[in-house]
Amino acid sequence: MYGWIWRHLPGNAWVRALIALVLVLALVYVLFQYVFPWAEPLLPFNDVTVDNQ
Amino acid sequence: MSATADDIEEQTSVPSPAPEHQRSSPFATAISVLGELLITAGLVLGLFVVYSLWWTNVVADRAAHEQSDKVRDNWAQDTGPGALDTREGIGFLHVPAMGNGEVLVEKGTSEAVLNDGVAGYYTDPVKATLPTSGKEGNFSLAAHRDGHGAKFHNIHKVKQGDPIVFETKDKWYVYKAYAVLPETSKYNVEVLDQLPKESGRKKPGHYITLTTCTPVYTSRYRYVVWGELVRVDKVDSERTPPKELR
Repeated sequence: MYGWIWRHLPGNAWVRALIALVLVLALVYVLFQYVFPWAEPLLPFNDVTVDNQ
Repeated sequence: MSATADDIEEQTSVPSPAPEHQRSSPFATAISVLGELLITAGLVLGLFVVYSLWWTNVVADRAAHEQSDKVRDNWAQDTGPGALDTREGIGFLHVPAMGNGEVLVEKGTSEAVLNDGVAGYYTDPVKATLPTSGKEGNFSLAAHRDGHGAKFHNIHKVKQGDPIVFETKDKWYVYKAYAVLPETSKYNVEVLDQLPKESGRKKPGHYITLTTCTPVYTSRYRYVVWGELVRVDKVDSERTPPKELR
């Protein structure tokens, strides 16, 4: 999978490494900004109140 | 026929060795993709831990700081009686035993409120009685134990007799912790009652209740600390804190 992505990136090894780095950072951004905030309330780690639900 | 075709193919492929992926069988490819997906899943879960225990604190502390500044600014401007804007927060909680300075107190205990690194007073299922109302009742609060500012992280360090101080624009409400419930069900809403019987008190009074989740890093149970109003000090022009905070 990662090998396939690597082979399909354009340019020489340095350009590919740079693009790969940008892709990884973009992925981390999407996870921190959208995916994790969405997933967190669904997981039982951070409920602090008492309630009757 | 087929043998001949294979031979030709082999002969043509030998001089220029194909990249590794073309040589591997579909089964091996599937296994390697699966392996890479599993590694990816592990990294994502690791990132989630970084997110919950570090990044949410960064975001929450920033929001709390901003909102606290607004409240302090509002207080500094003399807007006259009745004009106090409480939307941003009603005051600050100081618990020296927790060692984390002041915690802004806002209305409500929804995720949206608590995730800003503040403590919220209950409006549901039992409505908190605000100390500013002067009435007898229970001032019940909740805040995060981990992540999102983790304002009640050190709640286990609050022992009987420790001071809990609530600061408003013109009063210091000094409470003293008198009971701790280290583990209770999350459905135990009686701890929020205006007279919290489980704390051992029999008569109505001015109580404060701090709730958060326990054990740390999970929220299987709730941790509760009860306090009782000892006295109310007027805020002087220097905002000199009561002796409990000095």
